[in-house]
Amino acid sequence: MEARGRLTRRSLLAGLAAALPAPAVLGQDKAKSKYAGTTIRGAAFSLPFHQYLQNYFPEFEAATGIKVSFDIQAFPIYNQRMDLELSTGGSSYDVIIVTFIYQNRWIGAGWVTPLDEFTADPNVTPPSWDTADFVRGVEASMRDAKGRTYAYGVEAGAMVLGAARGDLIEKAGLSLPTTMDDLIKVCDAVNGKDGVSAWTADKLHHWNWPPYLQAMGGRIFKNPPQNLTPMLNTPQAAKSASWYANLITKYGPPGILSFTDDQAMQSQLSGRANMRTNAITWAAPLAKNPNSTVKNTVRYGMVPAGPAGDFPGVACHGFGIPAGSRQKGAAWEFIKWALSKEMLSRLVKEHGYPSVCRRSVIESEPFKEALTLNGQDVAALYLKVLDQLGDGAYMRYRTVPVFPQVGDKINRAIEAIATKQMSAADALKQAQQQAVEAIRMGGYKVDP
Amino acid sequence: MSLVLRFAAPRAAAAASQARQRRRFLTWCLAPSLAVLFVITLAPMVYLVVVSFTPLNLTNPATAWRFDQPLLNYRLLLSDERFLNSLWVQAKLSFWTVGLQLAIGVGFALLLNLRSGLLRALRTVFLVPMVLPPIVVAIIWKVLYTPDISPVYWTFKALGLSLPALITDPNWALPAIIAADTWEWFPLTMLMVLAALQTVPEELADAARVDGANSWQTTAHVLLPYIRGTLMVAGLFRLIDSIKAFPLIYLLTDGGPGSVTEVTNYYAFEQAFNFSYLGFSSAITVVLVAATLLLSWVVVHMTGWGAAE
Repeated sequence: MEARGRLTRRSLLAGLAAALPAPAVLGQDKAKSKYAGTTIRGAAFSLPFHQYLQNYFPEFEAATGIKVSFDIQAFPIYNQRMDLELSTGGSSYDVIIVTFIYQNRWIGAGWVTPLDEFTADPNVTPPSWDTADFVRGVEASMRDAKGRTYAYGVEAGAMVLGAARGDLIEKAGLSLPTTMDDLIKVCDAVNGKDGVSAWTADKLHHWNWPPYLQAMGGRIFKNPPQNLTPMLNTPQAAKSASWYANLITKYGPPGILSFTDDQAMQSQLSGRANMRTNAITWAAPLAKNPNSTVKNTVRYGMVPAGPAGDFPGVACHGFGIPAGSRQKGAAWEFIKWALSKEMLSRLVKEHGYPSVCRRSVIESEPFKEALTLNGQDVAALYLKVLDQLGDGAYMRYRTVPVFPQVGDKINRAIEAIATKQMSAADALKQAQQQAVEAIRMGGYKVDP
Repeated sequence: MSLVLRFAAPRAAAAASQARQRRRFLTWCLAPSLAVLFVITLAPMVYLVVVSFTPLNLTNPATAWRFDQPLLNYRLLLSDERFLNSLWVQAKLSFWTVGLQLAIGVGFALLLNLRSGLLRALRTVFLVPMVLPPIVVAIIWKVLYTPDISPVYWTFKALGLSLPALITDPNWALPAIIAADTWEWFPLTMLMVLAALQTVPEELADAARVDGANSWQTTAHVLLPYIRGTLMVAGLFRLIDSIKAFPLIYLLTDGGPGSVTEVTNYYAFEQAFNFSYLGFSSAITVVLVAATLLLSWVVVHMTGWGAAE
């Protein structure tokens, strides 16, 4: 009894330590008392974000007493497994990446937890966490019709043009192409120079092709998400698909049709291929990756525009909590920590993370410094793409529940065109028929 | 006579009762095994068939027990060009892989059956592809077929020759899968045939030689007919396995380019695991199972396997 009332040096130090939280984990002390001893399991597909974030897990664990274990898988494997896991109401995972193309499907099926109950309670989430700071267009696909939010953005994969050998383009007396016509001119001028293919891409055609489809005035669906009638058998779609198939086969390296994301990036890093349009996450390493051979020659630009304008793809993946999770409170503590302004700023400063979704971080000086690549202000390009996204209207095609089905038909049609098995018109006519059947099978109506 | 009947009738009744009791006893003894057999093998099959009559879609649990249009999935299959194409791709894949594996397997088995110390030592080496995990086999062939990193492509380039990107060329993608599958599985047929060849009595071949048969004639008219049953079993095993081909296609071509290498079970996998259409996928699987059973029955009956000698 006597000892309890006595002020010892040890109790004084303990009291001081408790009163001085580490800057990166502000607001987590309450969590420690409530969730200490809990273990949360997370799942994600391979992204630089996780690679960087994992370095800080010990800080989170020390501050909250919550242990974190993450499974990282390849993109297609993750999506297949997570789709199955969520559909069974499984409780294996507490934090997941809500993949862009599955957002409407997973949210619409009630497989993901609304996060508003956490963000609306100031005792759980301080107002300084600032949900409005997440870029509007990025968050659009992670909300339902009632405005409830189911995930917060981890990565805004804003599409840019990366030219690994910008020097070859300059030597040819040209500049980075800004239109689709220019792009073909540049490809003709530089293809094969120094043994470098003018173009490269991965095999995810349903991500790579739509910007050029939209730029030529085409679209994937009539009016998503209200009207999911596919629009693949239009003259614009046929013209654009034919143009795109020619781009990848005429100017791409051998075997391009089987390239994964990593292979396509490697072809640029090693200087074997020149230009590619893809998310900034895959473009920034050309200047930052230690193994890059093109650090001093890389140039960045906007995705080339067509007659109807420019429509750079933006894929926004977010952190969410499965409906079946049994550790939702602890899971939110983790998301809150991982996507706090402080943590994202650290990822930018210490790792040059380029795909941040918080406007305050994107507009900060460290972000601009981190994304000044080979002397170019790529941060400005990134912000321009996000601003162009606006409320995300032109990317809505990608988050409808049946997009995985329709995307598969697009991939196969582009392959059939690129390998000259079918004409663009025939391949897309077939894709249209198959897409209609798949959409109807999913229980959705299409126009007759 | 009547006295005999008076005693015989109760005896027959007692014997019949005893037989009934014995049958009942045996039934009860077998019941646990039959129950386990049903739960493990038949129940999932029955469930598969039941699901194939529903529009089950994982994103909509209400579709799980809807039987308002039980034959809808089967009707859709009849007009589904991709499904019909997948059956044709499957037929081509099975024909070539089984044929090549039997031919190469028999060839190597005949060679290894020769009395040579070197060949005997090489037996184990030939078995390596078969014991590798399918994923490893797929990775090996992925490397070989990827122009940027393949020693095959480097060699062709050094010789001033160009080779198309095999797994993305519509004319070569299926042959590329067939080559990889044959490399992986010919050792199985080789092993089975070799085991059978070693049971052939020496006297048969000796008698043929005494009658003036050369090596080819001895092989064609004595050895191969003798091991016909083994060839039959090996072919049937490979046929059934070829219908289950998956890892090579998944890792090398994704069923492409277009749908050139999309076999039926890969199509079923896509419908179930990429799109969550479990009802439709089950219908595809039911058709596949039925086709496999039918094909096995036809092969067995055409070759007279199992018939009385």
